[in-house]
Amino acid sequence: MKRFAWRWLVICSLVVGVAVAGTAAAGVEARPRYGGTLRVAMHAAPASLDPADSTQADSFARRNLTFLLFETLVTAGAGGRLHPGLASSWQASSGPTLENQRWQFQLRHKVKFHDQTALTAELVAASLRVANPGWKIVTETDSVVIELEAADPELPAELALPRNAIVKRTADGKLSGTGPFHISDWQPGKKLILAASEDYWKGRPYLDVIEIEMGRSFHDQWMALELGRTDLVEVSAEQSHRVASEGRPVAASEPVELIALLFAHDAQSPVEKSLRDALALSLDRGSIRSVLLQGTGQPAGGILPDWMTGYGFVFPADADLARARHEREDVKVAPAWTIGYDPGDSISHLLAERIALNARDAGLTLQPTTAATADLRVARIPLASSDPWIALSEVAAAAGLVRPAAHGGSVEELYAAEQSILATQRIIPLVHLPAAYAASASLRDWKPSVDGSWDLANIWLEPETGIR
Amino acid sequence: MIFRRKLLAVFALTVFLVVAAVTLLVSALTRRAFEQTEDVRTTALVTQFQREFERQGDEAARRVEAVAMAEPVTRLALVLNQVSANTGGYFELAKVMAENYQLDFLELVDKRGIIISSAQWPAKFGYPDSAFESLAASAEQPAFLKQEELQDSTALGLFAVRASRVGERPVYVIGGRRLDKTFLAGLNQSADMRTLLYQNRGEHFISEQLIDPGTNAATVAARPADKLAPLIEAVRHSNQEMTSVVHWSADQADDEVFHAIPLRGAGKDRALLGILLVGNSLRSYVELKRRIRSSALLVGSGGIVLAILLSSWAAARATRPVVELARAAREVTAGNWNTKVEVSGNDEMAELATSFNRMTAELLTQKERLVQAERVAAWRELARRLAHELKNPLFPLQLTVENLVRAREQSPEQFDEVFRESATTLLSELSNLKGIVGRFSEFSKMPHPQLQAVQVNEVVRGVSQLFQAQLQAPGRAPITCKLELDESLTPIAADAELLHRAVSNLLLNALDAMPQGGAMTLRTRGDDAKAIIEVSDTGSGLTPEECERIFTPYYTSKRHGTGLGLAIVQSVVSDHGGRISVHSEPGHGATFLIELPQNGNGLPSLSEPRRTREVG
Repeated sequence: MKRFAWRWLVICSLVVGVAVAGTAAAGVEARPRYGGTLRVAMHAAPASLDPADSTQADSFARRNLTFLLFETLVTAGAGGRLHPGLASSWQASSGPTLENQRWQFQLRHKVKFHDQTALTAELVAASLRVANPGWKIVTETDSVVIELEAADPELPAELALPRNAIVKRTADGKLSGTGPFHISDWQPGKKLILAASEDYWKGRPYLDVIEIEMGRSFHDQWMALELGRTDLVEVSAEQSHRVASEGRPVAASEPVELIALLFAHDAQSPVEKSLRDALALSLDRGSIRSVLLQGTGQPAGGILPDWMTGYGFVFPADADLARARHEREDVKVAPAWTIGYDPGDSISHLLAERIALNARDAGLTLQPTTAATADLRVARIPLASSDPWIALSEVAAAAGLVRPAAHGGSVEELYAAEQSILATQRIIPLVHLPAAYAASASLRDWKPSVDGSWDLANIWLEPETGIR
Repeated sequence: MIFRRKLLAVFALTVFLVVAAVTLLVSALTRRAFEQTEDVRTTALVTQFQREFERQGDEAARRVEAVAMAEPVTRLALVLNQVSANTGGYFELAKVMAENYQLDFLELVDKRGIIISSAQWPAKFGYPDSAFESLAASAEQPAFLKQEELQDSTALGLFAVRASRVGERPVYVIGGRRLDKTFLAGLNQSADMRTLLYQNRGEHFISEQLIDPGTNAATVAARPADKLAPLIEAVRHSNQEMTSVVHWSADQADDEVFHAIPLRGAGKDRALLGILLVGNSLRSYVELKRRIRSSALLVGSGGIVLAILLSSWAAARATRPVVELARAAREVTAGNWNTKVEVSGNDEMAELATSFNRMTAELLTQKERLVQAERVAAWRELARRLAHELKNPLFPLQLTVENLVRAREQSPEQFDEVFRESATTLLSELSNLKGIVGRFSEFSKMPHPQLQAVQVNEVVRGVSQLFQAQLQAPGRAPITCKLELDESLTPIAADAELLHRAVSNLLLNALDAMPQGGAMTLRTRGDDAKAIIEVSDTGSGLTPEECERIFTPYYTSKRHGTGLGLAIVQSVVSDHGGRISVHSEPGHGATFLIELPQNGNGLPSLSEPRRTREVG
């Protein structure tokens, strides 16, 4: 009995000990730690951090940089759902004549820029005027009023775009925002060092510093991650297979980038329309996805991805070579087109060559070129927002088309708008790609959002790697 | 001088011909030597190219084999043997392996000929390789030439095919190295040789298909590829090796000899895939030829100049005795019979000079003898004439004095009358003797001509008029005098009085020659150089001997002549620098011809009257 009691005592003690230890361990893992320097590498090399600078190419990296430094009045969440940002609330005018034409945004209190200036309606209005010179913006006590010439129910979603981030611009060209980090050192196009904003209105970020190296190739980024010289890198589509095969987890967003063919001008004749039809029908998107993009992304028949609209499958993405040849045969003499690609983007070059091969099967001649005056070009268009209307509008603008007007915002209207854009034959969708990243094991609570954006304010580093 | 020039020309021509012949010979030998060298070098380069071709082919085959044996390709072969093979992950394998194994072309193809991965055309995955059937048959074979289709062009390469056989579905590795500028530049060749490669594609020559390792903007402008089109087209049609000279510019030094070698591919048809062009610059040959020509010209010019100098010296040396002889002959002709020629050496010219000197010495001796004989003859003739002239008046004087003596002794009463008559006779004969002496004295005192412009026709007319009275004298047989005067005759420089006297003497001589009457003609004619006076008669004429001696002083064929008339005529004519001659035959009259120089400035010195006499 005594021996039995001792046995029970030992067993119970072990169970309690393991439980306590497990509980303690679990507590260590779950509790974020402050401090540390996060090293990030990116392919893009923006020369300016100003969100309203339209001369800089749009990219996920640039968007993420913007949201580390600046904030918008409204933020967009998953599925395009809007949340208050620097504006605590907003309301649109109502009535038969002014509905959705006058919008009032109530500003959040006790928000300061990095230079300790308080967020005011005047500063917000000044910032928005830079990004939107056509808007009429007036200020009231703690609010900003935007008066539009035409009704726009998507204005709050538009204000969630990075370009509408609130920036305080000083006379000497310095930028100041309200984001979780402020600029510590900035070497345009090369390196950006950010420091945590101690009095960030949402609370100080866990990280002390973020070092961002720019202009690094995907291969270099990957090598740096493998060698432990960086913590967070981008993963290109062609790398995804190798990265996955080497056991490194890849965090990917929903497909948020459209690869498409953009024609430089409208079809001039029915003959040209037939040729563009033939080209669209000849494209073997499946092979492009499975081989060139190493199985990443989804073949795209439409502009917007299926996760965003729910009807993406309606647009055919399979090649139909017989129809393509039939369309081609209707035309006696087909001109040779030039297809442009970005010489700095290897996948773009391969896509151009592959498309030229597919087109040759249909009897069309496409000559890949890096010249800017190509008849059509391979374009990578980051979808601007998880809001489908905003995304569609920005794609239309990128293709040189008129932005569709969102009257009611219904799915039917969205489909009709997308269909009408495709009917112009200025754009031939190819693939929807996700934004993919790989991170070191020391990075905690890291996961890109569905639209590919970072939330570096809420991640933290393991102590052994964080203290360097 | 003409002989010297001829000698000079012969010497110069000889030198020129020799230099030209040597130059031509050297040029021909040089050309032949260059042609042989070019043939040897071309053959060597072609051999080297073929060796390099084989070496590169072996190297390509070795690398392709290494790729086929590599672990990633084996892994791909394993994947292909799986039921649901997904080869998408091997899309970049060919590119990576090509970089690792330094291959310009590499394709991984499954057993159906579908391209899994392509290094040279990555986007071509999933497409069938058009030449797969023949390529699969070439597996494990040596490297071969193949034309590879690229995105926007074609390329020529040395290919090999190897298979990675794992399971039932092998992976064919088709790889090779490109025949491009690098390949051509790697050929070891001399500075004036180059190798070009034409990729045979299409129906006609395409300049872009020509690979020239030395191409740049300057050479493209200076050596347009189109110039090679005829040679390439000829090889394309004949499929045989050919050689041609390409003229890149007007300068021959830019010319190149191209040897074109057809390069054929594998397979049954052995299609013509390329043409290797081995160019050999003719610059060194042309420059050497130019140098030889320049040297020949220089040597030739120098030789000609030297020949001129030498031939001048030699001709002068050779012709100097001849010139000396000619000069001596002229002096002899001029009357300097004592002329001698310097004799040097013992050659033929020295013998000629010795003979000349001997001849002149002999002539001088003979002349002195002749002069002496003539002088004796003249004295004898003078003595005879004097005796004859003096004998005639002396005989009446002797008779008259004897008559006076006889009258004194025999008829003193008639002595006075006889004395008067004899005195008259004596005075007459003494006068006659005085006249004879006077004429001889006058001949010895012929005056020098005083030159002035004289119309010859006027002189002749004056003489004719003077003799009209005598011609028409009663009791004389009729003689007609006819004047045939050239009115265009210009004045000459002469002494009119002496000329008048000379013509008068000729007329007197003609009158004496026609005692039975006849016809006398006075003619004048002339030209820019001289004036001619002819006096013809129809008298008894002269024998050749008389013609020979008729101008000798004191020689006469007349019974009462003094023999000084024609001697005076000759003296006058001679003093004018002219000459007199006679043409006559016995019974057919005689014609005396006086030639006088037209211009007085051209007359020889009057102090040296010419003594030549010509008889027709």
